[in-house]
Parts: sequence; structure tokens; C-alpha cells
Amino acid sequence: MPRIRFDSVKKSYGSVEVLPPFDLQFEDGEFTVLVGPSGCGKSTILRMLAGLEDLTEGEIWFDNTPISKLDPKDRDIAMVFQDYALYPHMNIAKNMSFALRLQKTPKATIDEKVNRVAQMLGIDHLLARKPGELSGGQRQRVAMGRALVRDASTFLFDEPLSNLDAKLRGKMRNELAEMRNTLDKNMVYVTHDQVEAMTLGDRIVVVADGLIQQEGTAEQLFTSPANKFVAGFIGSPTMNFLTAELTEAGGVLKAKGDGFLLDLPTTLKKGAESASGRQVTIGIRPSAFKVASDAPAAGSRIELFVKLSEYLGAQSVLVTMCGAEEVLIEMTSSVRVEEGSTVAFSVLPEDIMVFDESTEVRL
Amino acid sequence: MNTTYERQNPAFYALIAALVLMSIAPIYLMLSTSFRLNVDIMSETSSLLFFPTMQNYETVLCNVLWYDPGHIDYCDPTFGRALGSSLLVALISTGITLVVGCMAAYALVRFRFMGRGTVSMTTLIMRMVPPAVLLVPVFGIWTFQYQLDGTYAGIILVYVAMNLPFVIWILQSFIVQVPIQLEEAARMDGANALQVFFLVVLPVIKPGLAAASIFTFRIAWNEFLIANALLDRNTRTVPVTIVNSLTEYDIDWGVIMATGMLLAIPPIIFTFVASKQIITGMTAGAVKG
Repeated sequence: MPRIRFDSVKKSYGSVEVLPPFDLQFEDGEFTVLVGPSGCGKSTILRMLAGLEDLTEGEIWFDNTPISKLDPKDRDIAMVFQDYALYPHMNIAKNMSFALRLQKTPKATIDEKVNRVAQMLGIDHLLARKPGELSGGQRQRVAMGRALVRDASTFLFDEPLSNLDAKLRGKMRNELAEMRNTLDKNMVYVTHDQVEAMTLGDRIVVVADGLIQQEGTAEQLFTSPANKFVAGFIGSPTMNFLTAELTEAGGVLKAKGDGFLLDLPTTLKKGAESASGRQVTIGIRPSAFKVASDAPAAGSRIELFVKLSEYLGAQSVLVTMCGAEEVLIEMTSSVRVEEGSTVAFSVLPEDIMVFDESTEVRL
Repeated sequence: MNTTYERQNPAFYALIAALVLMSIAPIYLMLSTSFRLNVDIMSETSSLLFFPTMQNYETVLCNVLWYDPGHIDYCDPTFGRALGSSLLVALISTGITLVVGCMAAYALVRFRFMGRGTVSMTTLIMRMVPPAVLLVPVFGIWTFQYQLDGTYAGIILVYVAMNLPFVIWILQSFIVQVPIQLEEAARMDGANALQVFFLVVLPVIKPGLAAASIFTFRIAWNEFLIANALLDRNTRTVPVTIVNSLTEYDIDWGVIMATGMLLAIPPIIFTFVASKQIITGMTAGAVKG
């Protein structure tokens, strides 16, 4: 499988620059997920790789071959579209074998490949039907089957699960995860759903406003996000952000905000210490809060007014207020918390992330 | 559950009956006349009762029948030939119009080129010009410039030009509905531009092609004005032939009505065959939504 490399690729529509020059690399046999809010340019990156969109500048390399001028059909790429894009006038077998028939593959080979893939996806009983007679989930499988039959080196997925209902999406996600392990292919997957990104991706690339914010494994993105956007985008429920002022007392850096004074981790980047008195944003994951059973250390205590408790089964999400700002807290349902009461929570210093207020870069 | 029927005004039914009569009566008249001998047609005591005969049809089709009808001394091939001419002209002009029209419509919808809007608009303006206005210049140019008068090529050319704007407009609206992802998927699957067009776009817009072909066929089939001016006795189409057979010496109503009935059959068959292709939900299952 080739290594795919974007080399200072830029994309503009007229005078509007949607993607400023960027570099990006996909390793051999890797499942890479491009994730970001809609309109961030992730689909454009995928479409440039597919050859459906021209590059304004730069080059895309497959190992040592420049491909940006090649037709989609010469790139050895298969793609699964968000809206399935099945040919409505052909039955499922014809849909899946379209590419092979164009290549003038012998009929026996086509039948064999189509049957193998159809069995793998559990759609072998549907081969004679038309796409119009299929349910959404079945159509999605056919769309994937059509890509798989091709046996291309690289598979592109453009939000393939976004049209399915929640339950089916979870099921298909698991199947995709299994497929990822059995197929030794390059896969590039675009989604706006961070859960899909976290569960599927060997490596995740977070894109926002046409800029690559951060790339790394799910764990890297979760535990050490590069900036406020990544921190807020990855993880569910989303991270809580509170404005605070840095103060230093007794050699410990603290964040002073509306109703709290929390110790900050000692591992902050250099430069943060000198910034005493500076305005920052602190981020705390909803799961980092614990109900303070016995009096916690003063530096990790925060009192919050519980506005609402959402019971989700094993977990509950508390909507609390810290001054005027809303704070979400995730905890096991076994701990009962009264709505409308003020409760003391503890937060460990290492669970607090500090972001520069203006640049939003993590300190 | 109780179903209540709204009581309609009797005048309403009378109106419907009158409308039905107005549309059916001429056809009935034509059909019944075509089965009568001239004696029956012209007789003062003309009634609903008569002895039906196939003689008129035999006269019209005498040169294509496999037997010699006994009542004919001299077989006039005019009507048979005219039917053949009409079929040839209508089918070929429809075919050419569709082929050119679908490609032009596709280009207008999918490609961005200079003057695209103007071209699109101009085709419609072409449609607004009444054929009578075109008649004189077309006759002059066809006859004196290119010697196309009296040829099939000449009349087919005119019909293609006449019908093309409308076909382009119909097909444009169908092609717009073809999801662009379908074409992208085909390109990813390795189809070149022509394969995308012929293997994916055309089959999907088949209902549009059928509708356009019915329309085009009927116009070419019925057209009289230009055919009358351009065609000669060897290439005349049926509508022209019928009118020409009304002479001051002899009007054979039975034969004319039989020709009229025969004239009505091909468009009916064509419409039935083509309308089989007009199914709703042409892109069902292609994309979500």
C-alpha cells in the first residue's frame, strides 16, 4: 500500500481560500480519521485525494508518484459516499460489479469477487434487488461492498454513517472496526462525529476552519489536546471551560475564578509561571469531578450549584452552575445528588488544562 | 364509517357529458365513415345502420397488402407511400433530436462555459417563433441555397431544429435532478466522461427521454405547414397528402377517413411504448432523501 503525502496543498475557490497550505501524511495500512465540524474543509481534503476536486497549489504523493493530475480512475482509490450514490437503474450485483465491468474483468472473476464481498457484508440475498427496494443500512452496506469489490489500495469514506439512525450507526461502526483489522488497506475516513473518530481511527486528524489543529491517536488527543478547540471537540460530554486568572501563592500556581481557587498542575509549560495575573481559560473534563466526601485539600475544592441531574443509566450528567457559567459533570448514578443544592466537588490539579485566552493554545 | 357523497349539480354532469361528446364524436364520425362505402356516406338516408366494409382501408394500403383487393382497378400508392414517409421522418427526426438534445442539455447543466446562460435562453426564444414565420425563409434557403426541398433530409433537419429547444429544456430539468454524487461515484469506479454519460446519466433520465420522445414524435408526425411547403409528391407526409386529396373533382371521404384512422395509430402505439418508461421515482434509492 502506498504512503500518501500531501505536500503544501492549498485549495481556494476563486479568491476564497478554504484550505491554506498544509502538509499531511497517511502511513501505510493506517486507518486515518479526519474529524471536524461541518464546513471545516475535511471533505475537501478527501475529495482532493479522490481526484474529484482540483488542487490550487501543492502536490499529493503516492510514495514517489505525484497524483494530483491523474484522473480518479488512475489513482487506485475506492470511495464510499455519504449519500450512498448507488446507481438506481442497476441491481445490487450490477452496482457492485460496475467498476470491474468497466475494466473488462472476466465474468467468472466478477461473480466470484461480488459473491465473496456480498457474503462478507451479509448482503448476498439482495444481489438481484434494486437500490430503491433496500433499507438505509442495506444501501450503506452495498455502497461499501461496491468499494470493497474493487480491491483498491486506498479506501475513502465520506461520512458513511451519518445517514443512519443511532442504533444502526453503532452496529455499522463496530463492523467497520472489524473490517479495519481484517483488511490491510489504507483507509481515510471523514466524519464530524468524534465518537466515530475515537473508536475507528488508528490516527485522528482534527480539522477546523481549514487548518489542521492536531493529529495523533485518540488517547493523545484526549489526554493532551494541543488547543482549546481540540479539547472541546474530543470527548463527550464536552470539556468544561471556565475563565480564570492565574495567581501564585506559596510557590503553587493557582487559577482564581468566580467562586473557585484551584491548584494547577506543576507540569505547565515554561512561561505560564511568569504570567501571574494573566487571564486564561481552564478546561476540566466532566469526568474529572468527584463528589468531595471528606474535606478535600483546599486547592482542589470547588462548590457548584446543581441545577439539573440527567439520569442516563449507569452514568448521570449533572448540569451545575459555577457563577454564571454552566459546568457539566459526569458521575456514576450510585452517588445521589440533590437537584437545587450546592455540592462540594474535588478536582485534582493534573486534571486541569490551561489555555491561553487569546490564542487558545494549551499552556 | 360513513361516507358522504357531495350532491353534484346536474348541470355539472351535463357539462361533462357535453365535453366527452365533443371529444369522442369526431373520432366516432371518422371511424364510422372509414368503414362505409361512398354510397353510404353520401346517401340522404345516412344513418347509424350500415354494412361495414374494409374497402377504404384496402384502397389506402393497396400497395403494401399481400393480396389484390378485388374492387380496385388501379392501385394508387400515394397514401401508402405517405404513411411510410411520415414514419420515416418522424422516427428519424425524433431519434436525432433526442441524441443531440440530451447531450446539449447535459452540457448546459453540468459544464461551466462562456455564454452558457445565453445559449440556454436562446434555445427557448427559438421556441417562441411561430413556424409560419420560419416558413418563408426556410423554404427559400432550403430550395435555392441547398436544394434540400423535397428531400427527407431537408424536412428532418427542420423538425430537429424545431423540437430541439423544447427537448433540451425538458431534459435539463431531468438532468438537474440526477445527484452529482452518482456521477462522482461512477468516476471513482473508473468511468470516463462518456461512460458516465451513457451508463449512468442516460439510464437514470430514461423517463425524461420518453416524455421528450413522445412530444417530439407527435409534433413531427402532425406537422403540416412546413411539410406542405418543402416536400414533393414522392416524399409527402400523411397530413399533407390528406389535404392534397381534397380536390374540386373528387373527394373520397371514406379513403380520407381511413387514412386519418391509420394516421392516429402510430402515435398511440408510440405513446404507449414510451410511457411505459415514464415511472415515478427515477432516482429512488440512489441517494439518501
